[in-house]
Amino acid sequence: MSFLLQPVRAYAGLWRRDWLSAFGLALLVLLILLGALGPYLPIGDATRIAVGPRLSPPSWRFPFGTDELGRSFLPRVVLGIRATFLLSAAAVAMTACIGALLGMTAGYVRGAVDQIVARAADVLFSFPALLIGLLIAAAVGPGETSAIAVIAIATLPLFVRVVRSVTLTLSGRGFIVAAEVAGASPLRVMGLHILPNIGGAIVVQLTYALSIGMIIESALSFLGLGVQPPNASLGSLLRQGSAYLTFAPWLALSSGAVLSAAIMSVNLVGDAVRDALEPLEGRSLT
Amino acid sequence: MSALIEARGLTVAYESQGRRAIALDGADLTLGRDESLALVGESGSGKTTLGMAIGRLLPRQARREAGDLRIEGRSVFGAAEAELRALRRDKLGFVFQNPMTALDPTMRVGRQVALALGRGGGVRDLLARVELADADRVMRSFPHQLSGGMAQRVVIAMAIARQPLAVVADEPTASLDASVRDRVMATLSRLRAETKTSLVILSHDLRMVAHHARRVAVMYGGRPVEMGEVSRVLANPAHPYTRALLRADAGGRSPGARLEPIPGAPPVLGASATFCAFAPRCPMRQAPCDGTRPELRAVEGRLVACHFAEAALAEAEASR
Amino acid sequence: MSAPIVSLRHVSVSFRGGWFRPAVEAVRNVSLDIASGETLGLVGESGSGKSTLGRVCLGLTAPTKGRLTFAGEAFGKLRARRGQLALVQQFPEWALNPRLRCGRSVEEPLVVLGAPARERRARVAAMLESVGLDAGYAERLPGELSGGQRQRVAIARALVTRPRFIVFDEAVSALDVSVQAQVLNLIGDLQAEHGFGALFISHDIAATRYVSHRIAVMKAGEIVEIGPRERFYGEPEHEYSRALLAAAL
Repeated sequence: MSFLLQPVRAYAGLWRRDWLSAFGLALLVLLILLGALGPYLPIGDATRIAVGPRLSPPSWRFPFGTDELGRSFLPRVVLGIRATFLLSAAAVAMTACIGALLGMTAGYVRGAVDQIVARAADVLFSFPALLIGLLIAAAVGPGETSAIAVIAIATLPLFVRVVRSVTLTLSGRGFIVAAEVAGASPLRVMGLHILPNIGGAIVVQLTYALSIGMIIESALSFLGLGVQPPNASLGSLLRQGSAYLTFAPWLALSSGAVLSAAIMSVNLVGDAVRDALEPLEGRSLT
Repeated sequence: MSALIEARGLTVAYESQGRRAIALDGADLTLGRDESLALVGESGSGKTTLGMAIGRLLPRQARREAGDLRIEGRSVFGAAEAELRALRRDKLGFVFQNPMTALDPTMRVGRQVALALGRGGGVRDLLARVELADADRVMRSFPHQLSGGMAQRVVIAMAIARQPLAVVADEPTASLDASVRDRVMATLSRLRAETKTSLVILSHDLRMVAHHARRVAVMYGGRPVEMGEVSRVLANPAHPYTRALLRADAGGRSPGARLEPIPGAPPVLGASATFCAFAPRCPMRQAPCDGTRPELRAVEGRLVACHFAEAALAEAEASR
Repeated sequence: MSAPIVSLRHVSVSFRGGWFRPAVEAVRNVSLDIASGETLGLVGESGSGKSTLGRVCLGLTAPTKGRLTFAGEAFGKLRARRGQLALVQQFPEWALNPRLRCGRSVEEPLVVLGAPARERRARVAAMLESVGLDAGYAERLPGELSGGQRQRVAIARALVTRPRFIVFDEAVSALDVSVQAQVLNLIGDLQAEHGFGALFISHDIAATRYVSHRIAVMKAGEIVEIGPRERFYGEPEHEYSRALLAAAL
């Protein structure tokens, strides 16, 4: 995995110079920690009902107020962060692997394989994700599985296209042709020479895809097609809260604000990673 | 003769990832009006930095640490933004190595040249001056539809459009085919002579320089180490580096004579050199070379930065 | 000079055009021989077809017409010719896999060939030394090396399997004058020692005539002249060759 971590580690120094990226990173780390440690924090129980009056506004005891079943909303939001991140990250990680393999094979082997994969990715890319979401939810039934499936379909073309493009560029390079002349098999060339050099492109797309995944998951959950109660994701909490918008606005506001913060932090970090990995090599200026 | 462009003790350093690399180390240069000067050197010699410093076209990481460069007496590094832009637009012209990246790929050539001319107009005439036949077709084309040589002629046209005082050409023919190189350079030289524009050519191609420039400055370790008329410097070089460079060049050898590469590698300076930067690789190295920095001084009709220039010339004379 | 290692007879290469684009004939009716221990220089401008011809000699591009023989036999599959061929290309920055240490890159053709580890290590060290780099370079990453050094590592890799034929495709074009001289000398010395046949493709006629025994001039896919290098120090026969020579010097 070092080929994925190395470029990011190498540019860690940039955080210090660019406050916006530093802020985004700090926010992202904070949210991830909250999500990870949530169940162990002394913020209350996310599932116990009637611990307080229903729909009560934020107070010391219930920092985010309570929902219509009298549950403290703060721990539910923290649970939501956890679910949103985990679901999207899992879907995107899986898609990255499949998409990278497909893109690399298409870009290196060319011919019929390339035609099929590239066209299929283009077709997939042109479908609006939400429409696919509705179809899948209708077919498979709402829930986390269909959310993962939709995220996968929406982000797969991203990885396929980018990795294919990078592979095409790499294929003409000296060390690849030299390996072919030396008699290396296509599998060996892809595994030893191409794969380690596409890490940078994948990392950049990962953050972008994660942000898309989170939006899709939230949208589906908001429509009631994603995460189902009693599980909560930020989108489903937003759905829950929007029903009481006029007299208990803190529900929608808090879950909406946290959702926005989460997506924004992923985007800021993604931008910073993109800038850091932008090719800085140019010809020597002397 | 007042100098058009004058650099005195110019020192430029690049900061990258905490490390400092000196690209120009106290470089001195003069260019008069109606003059052609070639800056010759290998990678790391500083020739591109010096050429680009003329228009202050240096990247963000570059910092001027000492000295200055003046055009018509006005400091380039001290100029305000507006003054600098006016300088680049009206007084200077640039020709870069790759015409395909110098031209806007999404704009027709005619429109680009018109923009370069400003309000004057006269695109067709300008294209005719750079020897582009069928100007109408060229004007309608996009850059990628032109051959390398034609595209470079368009770039030259845009560089001279506003009758600049000086044109800086950075490896203008390196991306072109061997057969068109000479012709494109001939066009550039002819235009230079016609308009009395000064020309600075940055190149590693000694033969091309010998044909098309009158004066040459050989750069090493961030500054010129030998400067003078091409006919003198290239025919009978005084600086040991110039001599070594000519011995390593593949052109002009007779069959069977072995090329002599220069031992070692060019220096990467972390600080201004207080000694001769070429000393570690110099066959004539002696004690003063490691202790005292040689400055440019007049020797036999050219300027040389070497403590033992006279000895080098004498040795060459003896082996003739 | 012995029997030819690479032999082309009436080779033509055409690339199919796409929609609205005519077919391109990159190579037209080329016949030539390259003997073991001989370097044939191939000069011409961009678009002349010289790179395509180089790819044909290595079996990377199949000729549309004509025949290629290697050491007297039909070429066969590239995989079967493992270890007999090598290529050094133009740009030093992409000559080596940036993620592999230099020693590992040089070793790679031996791994493909199936040589045992101990033999590989010895061979890699010997090869690095013969290109003028000490053993420590095996542990360095390409990013730490200069252009000339990378090109030398690429040459070490090309020679590690003792190939019978090497194609140098603009291998010195991107190098500084002094480094170019080093690498040209190196190619000549290694050939005298190992006896491989070589095709030296370049647009620089001065460098080509220094390192080649014979020179072929290519224009628009055809060979217009082929002769000993001495001829290119004096006056070549064909007017295109003369024009190229005049333009370069």
